[in-house]
Amino acid sequence: MTSAPVGGSPQRVGGIARVTGQQEYLADIHLPGEGHAKLVTLPVAHARLVAIDASVAEALPGVQFVMTPADLPDPIPRFGPQFNDRPVLAVGEALYHGEPVAAVVAETREIAEAAARLVRVEYEELPAAVTVAAALAADAPLVRDPKLRPDDALASTNVLREHRYTWGDVDTTTADLVVEHDYSFPMVTHFAIEPHAVIAAPDDDGIAVWSSIQHPNWLQRILAQVLGLPLAKVRVHAPDPGGAFGGKQHAKYEPLVAFMARRAGRPVRLVLSLEETFQAVRRAAAEVHVRTGLMADGTIAFQDVAADYLIGAYADIADRVVGKGSYPGCGPYRVPAARIVARAVLSHTLPSTAFRGFGNPQVNWAVESNLTDGALALGLDPLELRLRNLARRGEAFIPFDTPADGDWQQAVHRAAELIDWFGPKPPGRGRGIAVGIKSGPTTGLSYATVRLLADGSIVVYAGTSDMGQGARTVFAQIAAQELGAPLDWITVVMGDTVVVPYDQQTSASRSTVLMGNAVLSACRDIQAKLRAMAARLHGLDESSIVVDAGVVRLPDRELSILDVLKPGLGRLGGEVVGNGEARKEAEPGHPLGGSAAFFEFNCTAVEAEVDRDTGDVTLTRYATVSDVGKAINPLQVRMQDEGAAIQGLGHTLMEHFIFDDGGRIRNLGAIDYRIPTSMDLPLEMISEIVENGDGPGPYGAKGMSEGAILCVSAAVAAAVRDATGAVIRDLPLSPERVWQALNEQSRVPEEVVR
Amino acid sequence: MTATVAITLRVNGRLRSIEVAPHRTLLDVLRDDIRLTGAKECCLVGECGACTVIVDGRTVDSCLVLAVEVDGGEVTTAEGLARDGTLTPLQQAFLDEGAVQCGFCIPGQVVSAHALLAENPDPTLEEIQEGLAGNLCRCGCYWQISDAVIAAARNDAR
Amino acid sequence: MQPFAYARPASLAETVALLERHGPEARLLAGGTDLIIRLRDGTLTPSIVVDLKRVAELRPGIRERDGRLVIGATTVMTDIMANAVVRRDFAALAEAAAVVGSVQIRNRATLAGNLCNASPAADTSPSLLVYDATLVVTGPDGERRIPLDAFFVRSGVTTLAHGELVTSIELPLPTAARGSVHLRRTRRRGHDLASVTLACSVDGAGITRLAYGSVGPRPLLVGDESGVLADPAAPEAAREAILDRLLADARPSPRSMRSGPDYRLAMLRVLARRGIRAASERLVSRRAT
Ligand code: FES
Ligand code: FES
Repeated sequence: MTSAPVGGSPQRVGGIARVTGQQEYLADIHLPGEGHAKLVTLPVAHARLVAIDASVAEALPGVQFVMTPADLPDPIPRFGPQFNDRPVLAVGEALYHGEPVAAVVAETREIAEAAARLVRVEYEELPAAVTVAAALAADAPLVRDPKLRPDDALASTNVLREHRYTWGDVDTTTADLVVEHDYSFPMVTHFAIEPHAVIAAPDDDGIAVWSSIQHPNWLQRILAQVLGLPLAKVRVHAPDPGGAFGGKQHAKYEPLVAFMARRAGRPVRLVLSLEETFQAVRRAAAEVHVRTGLMADGTIAFQDVAADYLIGAYADIADRVVGKGSYPGCGPYRVPAARIVARAVLSHTLPSTAFRGFGNPQVNWAVESNLTDGALALGLDPLELRLRNLARRGEAFIPFDTPADGDWQQAVHRAAELIDWFGPKPPGRGRGIAVGIKSGPTTGLSYATVRLLADGSIVVYAGTSDMGQGARTVFAQIAAQELGAPLDWITVVMGDTVVVPYDQQTSASRSTVLMGNAVLSACRDIQAKLRAMAARLHGLDESSIVVDAGVVRLPDRELSILDVLKPGLGRLGGEVVGNGEARKEAEPGHPLGGSAAFFEFNCTAVEAEVDRDTGDVTLTRYATVSDVGKAINPLQVRMQDEGAAIQGLGHTLMEHFIFDDGGRIRNLGAIDYRIPTSMDLPLEMISEIVENGDGPGPYGAKGMSEGAILCVSAAVAAAVRDATGAVIRDLPLSPERVWQALNEQSRVPEEVVR
Repeated sequence: MTATVAITLRVNGRLRSIEVAPHRTLLDVLRDDIRLTGAKECCLVGECGACTVIVDGRTVDSCLVLAVEVDGGEVTTAEGLARDGTLTPLQQAFLDEGAVQCGFCIPGQVVSAHALLAENPDPTLEEIQEGLAGNLCRCGCYWQISDAVIAAARNDAR
Repeated sequence: MQPFAYARPASLAETVALLERHGPEARLLAGGTDLIIRLRDGTLTPSIVVDLKRVAELRPGIRERDGRLVIGATTVMTDIMANAVVRRDFAALAEAAAVVGSVQIRNRATLAGNLCNASPAADTSPSLLVYDATLVVTGPDGERRIPLDAFFVRSGVTTLAHGELVTSIELPLPTAARGSVHLRRTRRRGHDLASVTLACSVDGAGITRLAYGSVGPRPLLVGDESGVLADPAAPEAAREAILDRLLADARPSPRSMRSGPDYRLAMLRVLARRGIRAASERLVSRRAT
């Protein structure tokens, strides 16, 4: 690679192992003497547990034991990233289809599976609330025992929390037009191609756990808490996940497997099936009511948004998803008056968790669609309406929060241009445009250590999880840029809490910014040490020396880093160690506990064609433009933006869990839960970026990779509407639903005539 | 337990004689017995293609093939494509075009693409998209994967 | 997956003997793309699985014999869709075979397997019905032929007797020009189970045949000999009236999660119209060449 490491697109670190089948994912790891675990679940959503009889299962040859709640500490440990509400195994009641009530350890996976079928669970099925309406009904069965929510005014309801953000006065603000509609967003699952897996093993006087987890340090903390161990005795190994998308952020079955390994006295592995994975993670469905006030010229007067997110039986991180995802719910616009009321509604469904976009796509779908509606009602171009209201750089568009941190107009103009927004429309085609915004991390802490070895090669320690975004590559590029080593002389170590310094988490598109800055500052720490070394070697004043991009500049000449390092280290060799840290401090007065470190901004513009007979939607052109500040690796930026767009096309066009009346998932598994294949893409997809170097990360980078999923649905639905006149407010836009909308539309004139 | 069956198969050029229970799939045997873990386990219903390998010249979902069926056959997995540590032009193209994100689907994608090119050295975009539709990629590398196949085809033509 | 015994008979006689001996405890394995899913999810728990792939008489292949195209029972979709005669004379079958699952599935899935599962959504059934396919079946009492239309009973049930197996599928070679097509509806463009599947053929005499599946317990074959359907100049009302009659027996399940019955019925109608048009156009271009 001859170009500068940063801003180039070198081959992905870890790429060779991945194309040759050598990359070791969690399920590829085997420990000597390991036992195999299988979960025992019930075929109902909600049940009172009467008794568990494991005797037949335990009599099966090869079964070591069946773990039941009785085998766990009393009271049974509960955990969670936000509330300590999820029990290690269901106690008293099973609250969702797929919740483990017991688990088997056996010599083989097959025996474990057979034994799991032999565990007799006596239970009484109870009514289940699996929709927002059912959960909010006056007589709804309560998901959470009010006793577990003392001093909580909402304890007698299924609302876990209500988040209310207001500014201006919506009730007294007048508008020329008020557009008011209901929208729904489906319950979708992450469907990482790697099903979730965990291995736990007694480790001397502690425990070692292997998990394809995004936040190894957070898992370490949870395990220490439930097991009563000091952090140093909990070693979390986190091999690179095979896709995560938020689904692998938080502990699920790790505590259970850890307890089983301790009881078994040997390693225990639990590799979930895809079906079990579907029952472990999903995105919150949402029903969103939006009332938008507009002036005749398209200026937004107010936004009044009520969003009910259907979270699951345990909170996981879902309440934060609701609170943080709805906060920028009015979009990147100047909105003089706003009221956002977002509720996290508990239900007898599997716990929802973080999923790329973190609660934003749900509200975005509604608010952006409502704006298109308003523009059309006012006879305005939806693009014009957006540009008229879009916040300009530096504008405090969300009170108390970070002012607009980009020239967002650029992305909007570019996206429109890419699909020839103002050009003549081919017959039968329609165009739609939408924008999306998401807050980056509101707090954060990342440490990095960089070791410059005696030969100039480098080891970087960074606790980020490389789950496909290519974090290893980015950190290697930063180190290469700063310390001058070729990329293939750099090793990036991740995923071991005993070896790698603390990182808060891999989420909210933070790693390039926060960990990137930590790596950068560790490199700068080394540069400072090199400067001191050079000063000593050459009898110069430190201040006259500059170390930059792998070069040591003395007043009269330039040296390579090695020219300084070798003599500087001396006969014994050794190394230079740099430490770096990046923080985003909490702001206690802020509604989210902290302002956004940056915003992810995206504009998506789509041209679509609809088969009026069948409802099939063909996306003829698709443009996605993200403001990324600076692309440290443009190829990785592009693949993530396009990947996010394609994932967004999933929930836009085809994905949704279907439940039966009892709350069981009917389309459990890959045959009937459809995600996009290579044949389900737009005919043409263009992704571009805006780079103004205005981000808080290294070299002006902002976080990215979630932006491109935010507004997919609204842009696609707008294009479908433009092509056909059909207005659809419920996702996904399956052919059947589009066909129904077209039919309803064609019925309207008849009714009017009558 | 049912008795095992002795089978012989050639995996990535190497002859293997193993005893397998009839209900074990080729995927199980590759991963657990032969410890070739390039073929991945995901859906186990023939939908995702993460377990794709080549059996006697054709791609299959190894989760839907019993190991005993392959007795006497020849199997190529992702591990068997590169020779002497040198990536095939196709594998290199996957890296050059940015077709690898998390990588979990990639061994299957590479195997399918390899077989596609063997059959059709100069595929169109539509042929690639159709030929690889049986390999899901949730990271959404589809465009980059087809770019890689096209690049590898060009490279070959040269 | 629950353990089972495995047999790999070398001859048809041996196979039939195994089937007789084990009765319903035996399951035939051809491509396995459906069987192995059901073995794994526990809906089938045979004590023995009989692999047909080494049976000498069942070697895959497509041959012409006595005015018929004979497709061996273990012939896989990949080979069917690529076969020159199939593509030329049985275009709807080639098209149907080409949409069975993904490449990996088509490399394994066999024609006989697709039929014997008797899934109402099976892609190859409508085209084979339209082409008047006959199944050649061997059992303890020797060989017999079952017209495909007399084979399907309902989902998963056929008129195959215990101990019998399909050895080949025969299609009469066309004696005059014919246009035919296979169409389907799915939830996405990539491989998917069909929510409606339809084949149509039109011949020079104006005879239109339609077969459709996934809208009832078994695929149905219907026809119009009046020539009206195939006549683009015929009044629309007349053609629609015939379609009303031909499609009247469609009874899509209200419980399907793949799509609702109204949509399926409407799509059946759309596919029928499109199928007739496409088949007629193919007939015209056939005759022109
Ligand atoms: S694991 Fe075999 S196709 Fe998905
Ligand atoms: S690269 Fe992650 S699933 Fe394809």
